[in-house]
Amino acid sequence: MTAKWSDLGLRLSGAVVVAVMVVGLVALVIPYDPADAVSYDSLLNPPSAAHWLGTDGQGRDVLMRLVKGTEAFFLPGLMGGLIAVVLGGLAGAYTGYASGPLRSALVGLLQLVDTLPRLVFIILLCTIRNPSIPLIAVVAGLLFVPTVATVVRRKVEALASEDYILAHIAHGFTPARILLHHILWLQCWPLLVRQAAFVFGYVLFVETGLSYLGDYGVQEPDPSWGNMVAQVKDLAGAGAWPWLAPAVAIVVTIASFLAFGNLVARKGEEALR
Amino acid sequence: MTAPLLSIEDLIIEFDTQQGRRRVVDGVSFSVAQGEVLGILGESGSGKTLSTLSILGLVPGRPGVVSGHIRAHTDGGEVDFLAELPSVVSGGTAERAYQKDDRRWQRIVQRTMKPYWGQFATAVFQNPKQSLDPLMTIGRQLDESVSLADPSLDRAAVRARSVDWLRRVQLHDPVRVAASYAHELSGGMCQRAMIAVALAREPRLLIADEPTTGLDTTVRAEIVGLFKALLRDRRRAMLYISHDIREVLFLADRVIVMRHGKVLEETSADDLRHGRGRRHPYTASLLEAADLPVGEAA
Repeated sequence: MTAKWSDLGLRLSGAVVVAVMVVGLVALVIPYDPADAVSYDSLLNPPSAAHWLGTDGQGRDVLMRLVKGTEAFFLPGLMGGLIAVVLGGLAGAYTGYASGPLRSALVGLLQLVDTLPRLVFIILLCTIRNPSIPLIAVVAGLLFVPTVATVVRRKVEALASEDYILAHIAHGFTPARILLHHILWLQCWPLLVRQAAFVFGYVLFVETGLSYLGDYGVQEPDPSWGNMVAQVKDLAGAGAWPWLAPAVAIVVTIASFLAFGNLVARKGEEALR
Repeated sequence: MTAPLLSIEDLIIEFDTQQGRRRVVDGVSFSVAQGEVLGILGESGSGKTLSTLSILGLVPGRPGVVSGHIRAHTDGGEVDFLAELPSVVSGGTAERAYQKDDRRWQRIVQRTMKPYWGQFATAVFQNPKQSLDPLMTIGRQLDESVSLADPSLDRAAVRARSVDWLRRVQLHDPVRVAASYAHELSGGMCQRAMIAVALAREPRLLIADEPTTGLDTTVRAEIVGLFKALLRDRRRAMLYISHDIREVLFLADRVIVMRHGKVLEETSADDLRHGRGRRHPYTASLLEAADLPVGEAA
C-alpha cells in the first residue's frame, strides 16, 4: 500500500474511531427510556427530519437506539482492550526477562489460555454464569492476554541483546525501568495500540453477535446494535432502515478499529526504525 | 603506583560450542590502579573485549566456565565478583543447572553486580549509535544517568547538569543535542554523548571497548583527544581496549598486549613509545606495522 492510501485509510478510520468514542461518551449521559420511546403512530417510518434514520417496528427512533446501543459495547470494549494490553504487556515483559518456576508456570498458563477457542469459551461461560456484557468483556480481555504477552515477550527477548540495553545495564539503570520504560513503553506501544484496537473490535463483535442470537446478549427493549439487526427476522421485508443502519454501523466500526490500530501501529513501527 | 582499583587474576572463560568447549580467555591477569589508564591491545578474537566485559558481568550468551578472580577494591573493602557467583565457577551441579537456563545466570550476575554497575564501573562500546536508546532524546538518557549518580537533584538541576556534561564532552550547542535523538546525530557526536552518559554516572572505572571503531579518522582522533582531556584530572581509571596501537600509546599509562586469550606482555606505555626494553615478537610486529620504534625484539 502506498503512503497516500495508508494516510487516507488512517484519516477515515481515525474519524470513525473518534466518532464512536464521542458517541459512546454522549450515550452515557443522555437519558433514554425504551418503553417511553414506543410510538404506535409512527411505525417503520422512512428517514425524515424528525427521525433521521427512520423508526423501527415499534415506532422507536433508529438513530437514538443506534446512539444508545453503543453503551452495550463502549465501556466493555475499552475495558477488554485495557485488560488485554496491561496484563498482556506486564506478562510479556515478565516472561521475556525472568527465569525460574514462576515464569515457567506463567508461560504454561498463558499457553493454556491461548488454546481456548475464544467464542466457544465465552458462550460456554454465559451458559453457566449469569451472562452480562461487562463480564464478557473482562473475559474477552483475559483471553487476549496470551496474544499480547507473546508479542511483547518476543520484543523483550529480541531487544535484550541490543547494545543500548547492555549499555543501560552497565550504567546501572534498574531492570524495572529498562523493562517497563525503555522496552515496554517506548518500543512496544505500536503493538499495544494494535492489540487494544483489535480487542475492542472483538468485544463489539461478540456483544453484537450474542445480542443478535438473543439469549446471552442485551435483551429487548434495551438497545444493542446486535438486537437491532435481529429485528430483520420480524420485519418480513417491511423496512430496511431499522436493521440496515446498525448492520452497517457494526461493519464500519469493527473495520475502522482494526484498520486504525494497524495503521497507527505501522506508522509507529516505521518511526521506530 | 597507588592502590589497585581492580585486579583480575587467572581469569578463564570458556564457551560451549558445537565443536566442544572452547577456551577464549586463558588465564588472564592484570590490574588497574586508581586514576590509571590501562591500555589493552589486541586483534579481534584475542579475548580483550570478553575479559573486560566479564568485569561487568556482561559476557554474552552462555559461557561454560568462568573462573579466576575479579577483585574490585571499593571504599567498603575488597570484593571478588566471581567468588560472589559461586554457581558459575566450574563444576558442580549448580553449573549444570545454570547451563540449562542462561537467564538464571544473568539473574545471579545481576544480583551480585547491581551495586557496582555504573557506580564502580561502566562502559562505552563501539557502535555509538546503537549504544543510545533510539527512542529517547540524548538529554533524557543523560538525565537518567545524572539522577542515578545524585538522586537529591530536582528536575531542573538534573537537566542543567546534563547540559553541562554535553558541554564537557565538547559538543557544540549542547541544548540542541540534548533535544536530539541518536539518529539525528553523527557517529562522533553519538560517541561523545555516550561518553557523557557513562561519565555522568560518576563511575570510578570507565571501560572503553574500541570506542573509535567505525568512526572517521579525524573523528577518531577527536574522541581519543577527548578521553585524554576528560581523564586529565586523574579522578577516574580507564580500561582502554583497542586494536590501534597509536591510540593506546597516546592514552595509556600501562599497556597489556593480548592474543589468543592470553596476555603476551605487560609494559609501561613510555617504554613502548620510546622503544625501550625487550619486546615480544607480536608486539614488535604491531609496532613495526604502525611505523613506531621497535627496540629490541625478544
